[in-house]
Amino acid sequence: MARNIRRTKTLAMLAALTATGVILSGCTSGGDSGGGDGDTLKLWHYEGADSAMGKAWAEAIKIFEEETGATVEFEEKSFEQIQKTASQVLDTDAAPDLMEFNKGNATAGFLASTGLISDISDAVDEYGWDDKLAPSLQTTAKYTDDGVMGGDTWFGIPNYGEFVGVYYNEDAFAAAGLEIPTTYDEFVDVLDAFVAQGVTPLAEAGAEYPLGQLWYQLALLEGDRGFVDDYQLYKNPVDWQGPEVTSATETLKEYVDKGYIASDVSSVKAEDAGVSFINGTSPIFVSGSWWFGRFVSEATGFDWTMTAFPGADLSLGSSGNLWVVPENAANKDLAYQFIDITMRPEIQAIIGNNGGLPVAADSADITDEKSAELIATFNGVLDADGLSFYPDWPAPGFYDVIVQELQGLVTGVQDASTTNANLGEQYDEGTAEFR
Amino acid sequence: MSLATRPRRTALPPEEPSIPQRSGGTGGYWLYLLPGFALLLIIVIVPLVWNLLLTFTKWKGVRTPEFIGLGNWQKILTDSDFWTSFTNSVWMILAMVVVPTIVGLIVAALLFDVVGRKFGGKVGAFLRATYYLPQILPIAVAGIVIGWIVRPGGDGALNQILGAFGIPAYDWLGQMPSALIVLMLVMVWVQLGYPVVVFMAALQRVDPELYEAAELDGANWLQRFTAITMSIIRPEIFVVTLTCTIAALKVFGPVYIITRGGPAGATLVPAYYAYQEFFTKRNVGYGATIATVLTIVVVIVSIIFIRVQNSLERKERAGL
Repeated sequence: MARNIRRTKTLAMLAALTATGVILSGCTSGGDSGGGDGDTLKLWHYEGADSAMGKAWAEAIKIFEEETGATVEFEEKSFEQIQKTASQVLDTDAAPDLMEFNKGNATAGFLASTGLISDISDAVDEYGWDDKLAPSLQTTAKYTDDGVMGGDTWFGIPNYGEFVGVYYNEDAFAAAGLEIPTTYDEFVDVLDAFVAQGVTPLAEAGAEYPLGQLWYQLALLEGDRGFVDDYQLYKNPVDWQGPEVTSATETLKEYVDKGYIASDVSSVKAEDAGVSFINGTSPIFVSGSWWFGRFVSEATGFDWTMTAFPGADLSLGSSGNLWVVPENAANKDLAYQFIDITMRPEIQAIIGNNGGLPVAADSADITDEKSAELIATFNGVLDADGLSFYPDWPAPGFYDVIVQELQGLVTGVQDASTTNANLGEQYDEGTAEFR
Repeated sequence: MSLATRPRRTALPPEEPSIPQRSGGTGGYWLYLLPGFALLLIIVIVPLVWNLLLTFTKWKGVRTPEFIGLGNWQKILTDSDFWTSFTNSVWMILAMVVVPTIVGLIVAALLFDVVGRKFGGKVGAFLRATYYLPQILPIAVAGIVIGWIVRPGGDGALNQILGAFGIPAYDWLGQMPSALIVLMLVMVWVQLGYPVVVFMAALQRVDPELYEAAELDGANWLQRFTAITMSIIRPEIFVVTLTCTIAALKVFGPVYIITRGGPAGATLVPAYYAYQEFFTKRNVGYGATIATVLTIVVVIVSIIFIRVQNSLERKERAGL
């Protein structure tokens, strides 16, 4: 009996010690910037080493280590890895000090609303990053308490931008005796002309994002900033049988019926669509600026150009991904110093000269002619306050919903009205808690 | 009343003598079972209970789950995507259990009884390894290759072959019935090797003299197959059917790699649907509900299989 009591006391003491340890470690990690050694910056990002951003971050790491004397402990992650599991990791002591994260309500907004990433408003004031970012780029960096973008609190800093436009194969246009369109009517005329010549003009992919982005771009042709605010910022309920969405869905169906898009689009992946533009099979590709660098190096058999979608005041696009500082970060001050380095003109110029879209570059530093053309187009969109974000942002998992519903539309399984109703149902369900 | 009228179970005839026990009882053995029980508790029981609790919550995967009672269970009853996913499970059972088991049985019997005897054991072993190869291939690799074969337009290998015969290119993974059919054919290809290997191992138990005697008595191959092969390897057929049924109900990898549930949900299966709810929509509570239903179905199917097998064995031992 006495032995049993002694054993119970020992166990209770062990449990108490363990609990104390847990509580103490919890306090330490959750502190503002305590717990870190101040000598190591734990950094996660998912940009490929050869991409514009990957090159820029590599240079930023070098400068950071030279200037601060601290070491960067870099872990290369995949986009999927961070997207799917970051929220679990950020809730632990294994959180990095600085992390690249996707912007938008369902991603960075979600982390902001759950308190997993830090309010960095004070650092923004201290370093003056807000002065370097155009207002439309700030939307995705600031969130409300509920995680809706466009709020008042800074939760991230973007270093680059992106937008969706149209890539044209100029040689194919010349061979077909056609001009690059400047209005939507001319765009449709060009599509008709290519079809008449037996060419399927648009490279598209229904198994991944390109078809959904074209659908949203078609809705933007009919919509205005009010529609975007309703759709993305939940200002008012979206009318899923209204003119914008109805026009987009019906027009997309027409594109397939008229042969502007291949009839087998529903199983095509983004990579295949991009490759069909690179190899000259399809003369037109509606997609994002993230293809630009790759086309520069691979679409070398013909001349090509990129413009904003013809006739559109609004374009898909946003700031690029954000630097976010986890709430459990141990070295927040080092994280802010690193962000500041990435905003310097020399780092921004690396982005700009490698096919990326810098947000704070000195235009004199952009020596590459093709890159300068892209940056000019992007700045035109920014000046017109034209960035309208992406269709899958408003609700978690809405990307898969859009892919599935548009597959249903283009394969003829469901009509436009049913497609809109299904999309609306899923949108309303996914955004209910924000409205 | 029902208990009184229920037929008595057939009495078990004595089996092989059991392992002699120590005079001190079986208490000492429990010590050796403890690590196993501890792992069972940590890896199975705790997550299972946690998963069950989550079905009564709305949770995004971080912070505190919100209790919502039976909301997820009510939703699942009227969720057409959920029922579509379970309908597709039936097709997966056809592709991963029914067809591979039947074909595997015939192939194993042919390899053992015909190929093995006429061409020697090495040829039989080589062919058996060939059938088993898809089981070794990582599904991610196999899926990418399948994707190349059935890719749309004129680039896909299948469409090129059909094109040589003047058949127009078809969008195999982009259309409704064909996407599911392609997935099913892939699963037949992947699964076939497993029953072949198990059945051939089982056939080693058959005394070759049995076949020779049957042959001398004038039995043809089909008669030998049904009278000898089928009856001897029945336990293995049960094992293969049970394990493949569980695999078919839980199938995830091939759907994730090849179709991602598309087009328009045509190839959605419960495991992939649960994954979508968990990780992309962050409806962890609802994802847990789908996973729980899947678990319940797997457990029920397993119990039915084991009971039927035990009942048949009992009858067999009783000479019925």
